[in-house]
Amino acid sequence: MLLICPSCKTKNFLDPYPFWNFKGTTKCADCGKIWRIETSNGACVKGPDAATGNADLLPGFAEKQDYSGISGPGLTRPAPQARPDSVCRPIPMKKNVRGNVIAGYPLKKEDLVGSVAKFMIAGAK
Amino acid sequence: MAKGNGSANRAANTESFEEFCRKTFNPKSEFSKPEALKGIRVLSCTQYILGPSCASYFAELGAEVIKIEAPRRGEAMRHTTPFNEPFLYPLSKFIPERGTGLGFVGANPNEYFISVDFHRPEGQAIVKKLAAKADVFVENYRPGTFDRWGIGYRQLSQINPRLIYCWLGGFGGWGPGRVRASYDILGQAQGGNFGMTGKQEMFGGAPAKHTIWLADYWGGMMGATQVLAALHYREKTGQGTFTEYSQVHGVTRQLEYALPLYGRHGITRERWGNWDTQLCVHGIIKCGKSSYPKSENPQESEEGFILVSAYTDGDFAKLCKTINDGNLATKYAKKAERVKAKSQVEIYPVLEKWAADKTKEEVAAILDKAGINNQPVFNAKEVANHPHWVERGAVRWLDDPIYGDIMHQGPAYKLSATPPRLKWALKPVGADNDYVLGKLCGIGPDELKRLEDAETI
Amino acid sequence: MATNGNPKLPSWPAVPILKPEEVYAGLSDQAKDYPLFLESIVRQEHNFEKPEALADIRVLDCSTRMMIGHWCSSQLAELGAEVIQVEPPGGDPLRQLTPFGRREYMFKDKETGEEVGAQFLHEMRNKLSVTLNLEAEEGREILKQLVVHADVLIENAPPGQFDAWGIGYRQLKEINPRLVYCWVGQRGQWGPLKDKEGMVEPTAQASCGFVHGTGDPKEFGGTPMRSALWMADHVGGTTAAMGILAAIHYRNTVSGEGQFVEATSAEAIIRILDYSWVWHSMDGSIRPRFGNWDLAINIYAVNPCKDGYMMVGGGHDRLWYRIWRVVGDEYPKVEDDILGDPHLREVADRLAYNQQVKTYTMLCEWLKDNSRSEAERKLSKQQVASGGVLYVNEVAEYPHFKYRGHVAEYESPHYGKILYGTTPFLQHRTPGRLKWLGRPTGYDNQDVYRRLLGFTREDFKRLEAVTATAGEDEEEL
Repeated sequence: MLLICPSCKTKNFLDPYPFWNFKGTTKCADCGKIWRIETSNGACVKGPDAATGNADLLPGFAEKQDYSGISGPGLTRPAPQARPDSVCRPIPMKKNVRGNVIAGYPLKKEDLVGSVAKFMIAGAK
Repeated sequence: MAKGNGSANRAANTESFEEFCRKTFNPKSEFSKPEALKGIRVLSCTQYILGPSCASYFAELGAEVIKIEAPRRGEAMRHTTPFNEPFLYPLSKFIPERGTGLGFVGANPNEYFISVDFHRPEGQAIVKKLAAKADVFVENYRPGTFDRWGIGYRQLSQINPRLIYCWLGGFGGWGPGRVRASYDILGQAQGGNFGMTGKQEMFGGAPAKHTIWLADYWGGMMGATQVLAALHYREKTGQGTFTEYSQVHGVTRQLEYALPLYGRHGITRERWGNWDTQLCVHGIIKCGKSSYPKSENPQESEEGFILVSAYTDGDFAKLCKTINDGNLATKYAKKAERVKAKSQVEIYPVLEKWAADKTKEEVAAILDKAGINNQPVFNAKEVANHPHWVERGAVRWLDDPIYGDIMHQGPAYKLSATPPRLKWALKPVGADNDYVLGKLCGIGPDELKRLEDAETI
Repeated sequence: MATNGNPKLPSWPAVPILKPEEVYAGLSDQAKDYPLFLESIVRQEHNFEKPEALADIRVLDCSTRMMIGHWCSSQLAELGAEVIQVEPPGGDPLRQLTPFGRREYMFKDKETGEEVGAQFLHEMRNKLSVTLNLEAEEGREILKQLVVHADVLIENAPPGQFDAWGIGYRQLKEINPRLVYCWVGQRGQWGPLKDKEGMVEPTAQASCGFVHGTGDPKEFGGTPMRSALWMADHVGGTTAAMGILAAIHYRNTVSGEGQFVEATSAEAIIRILDYSWVWHSMDGSIRPRFGNWDLAINIYAVNPCKDGYMMVGGGHDRLWYRIWRVVGDEYPKVEDDILGDPHLREVADRLAYNQQVKTYTMLCEWLKDNSRSEAERKLSKQQVASGGVLYVNEVAEYPHFKYRGHVAEYESPHYGKILYGTTPFLQHRTPGRLKWLGRPTGYDNQDVYRRLLGFTREDFKRLEAVTATAGEDEEEL
């Protein structure tokens, strides 16, 4: 459910699985106001009504009307992570987890012989 | 009546059976043995996972498999990688600043990679030349596409009557749904195994997808199995054939008791979470403590889970003794009583309460000591480093000639005399154009350059 | 009449199966040409006019108490091999399994009253059943005689058991050097886990990383989740079949000798856990659970909708915009928002978790008002792949699956009408097929022992002494 905060108009994304049939409170990720809502099969059937106390469940993500994103501890629920520092952008990797050479970073035409990186032909150590 | 009952047999039998197996199936001895499908040539005009994986199972067995992709950018699966983070470079010699995504890994090992644009007549002519010399032709494009391009079964079987033409796809090439595009999880969803998997509805659960592209990868195995059978038939008769595999059909084949139960009693099999509908105790429970509480990786700092398996009356009695619950032992002593739905709802929370202050290793140790079957739920790191899987070569470090020191899955099964094996993980788009097109199609260097400049290859 | 003769239950199919004229009505000859050509070469109606690929192969399936061996022998049996299931006295204990222990769900042999559970029944296809007590020396001697006539033997006893009994690979290959001997199991005959007991799935699934990676993330309140099915056994059984066929190929074309095949359910899954291993080796990443969304493709997920759960797929740009166009027909503001979002412009940027949360939350604004069939109809107009999660009753009635025979009904002389999943091995020349489904325990003792071993009445009396069931000795699963 998309909850547009009645107070600050932030778009709070109440992701489908946990919020499909939900009765309780959530919190705007930007202004922090607590809202009581009730959803049934994904549609909001009650609320949002102003409430107090701790939120039952935080949004999955949020953004302002200008698309600037809001997420973080205490604001939105944490993302599943494969490594401690996830960035969701290509990460150049020159060495692998046991310290050996891998072709894990962008190359230039000059770096290649045929389709293979020069440093790989020269010897992996 | 048995032959060879003499000393040779006795000598062989003094070696322990485990040692014999370890020697026989040693991954390090794979390359010293012949290959089961030596001399078989396979063309793989495939994309994503269903088609490519099918061809890869032949590549593991020693067939010469030639993967044909679109020039420059290759096929779609190369642009798929988890969280957009890891890539293997280069994508092709033309685009070295881009990498191949890891979604491509595992589906195309041991193969030769050429790039041909088979939308163009010149490209189709090249494919025809290759098909004339191939034993198996694998494709998973929309039904009728290759037929329209003049390189379908009807046309290729004229050129090469021994060819085994293997088509794989989502919904098949005929019938009202034949036009539907398909992906793996669509096959799971429509085939029926998706709706049965996941937390029970009565606990507020929803259907859960299998984390692997099961319909695709296992579907490729099914396609390969029937091609191997067709090869067997061809040995006797010299005839090639057409094989069709629909992945949603495969998923429906897998539904175990659900269809007979529905047909006879009108009952729809429901989700039963981490418990088993036919055996109790035989379920996966939560162990309250993390095995790596100090880890920065949330996948490790999470609490552990373990499969507890004590479904015979004797084992269940042992389990109750171990967790010190005489009440459960008396109430559910008999398996007929224990396996009922409402009994399971009562039993498993008791086990989880007992395990709430233990790690999965601690639970495993206690159960091992008591002689109760169990299996901790391993995460990817634990599997990758587990001596059992490493020794057996199920996962192995590969000195890939292009990408370096990477870990890769080994073949799924082992053969003593002609073991399947892993040679390399993948190659950039068109890496073997010169080699394959020169060797098999007699295309000389000038012609290759012309085709390359025109982006036909 | 319903498959159990119960007038209250609808019989299958509830809606008649379409005819080709209806399916291809209104199409030009050119449009009909290819699908009709395919029908002419692979429709199952023609199956029994065609030969069988593996007609010259004989398999002894000695596996018990686990599905992997039976799944493997099913593949071979469907493709024409003669499969003899060698069961312990009283039958494979798997026959006794039934959901929630309900006897009323079991299938009963009309003549003998013997009951069999649906799980075992569904996999007992095209196979003969003999009983043989391998725990007895005499039984093992009989197996050695049978092996002379077999191409393949499948067993799943605890590692080393058959070897200790004198009927392992090392011994049987001396008797029949052409034998392909296949051991199947959960984790393997050698290695640190070999003695860890536990024969039944989901043991393999838990040990190989599959369970850990399936299910909702902890952040959604989820836990690792097993497959509802003994899924690793299916995949393992298929890999065993591949190994066996490869071994037969090599035997027939080169060596004239069999070999030892080892296939495990866990390693079959490890093989297809796609990028988990290379990913971990590159930067230490541990594959996380991601629920019904995908780590590597957006849009490619199942989400709730008006009447259930809906899969929508479209990883490329082209499809991305088409999906939002469909949504925009009913929710123009949603489409505008998505199109205007700079963080969703690049295909690669859409993968980030936050972007997936936004994508699917917005998609569900539309999905909540559309049923599975409505959503599919609208999306297919834009050539977007989609479909609802179907439950088995819906799978059984789905027009396309009925037409293609994914589900069919078999009338067994023993058990009556049985609804089942058919073989997906469609072929032009040697299609897979079902010859029979279900076989009472030991039904083929007379045929097999007489035909293959020349048993006399005296021999059968001795066999009975060795294999006779003493009721209380019935082996527990």
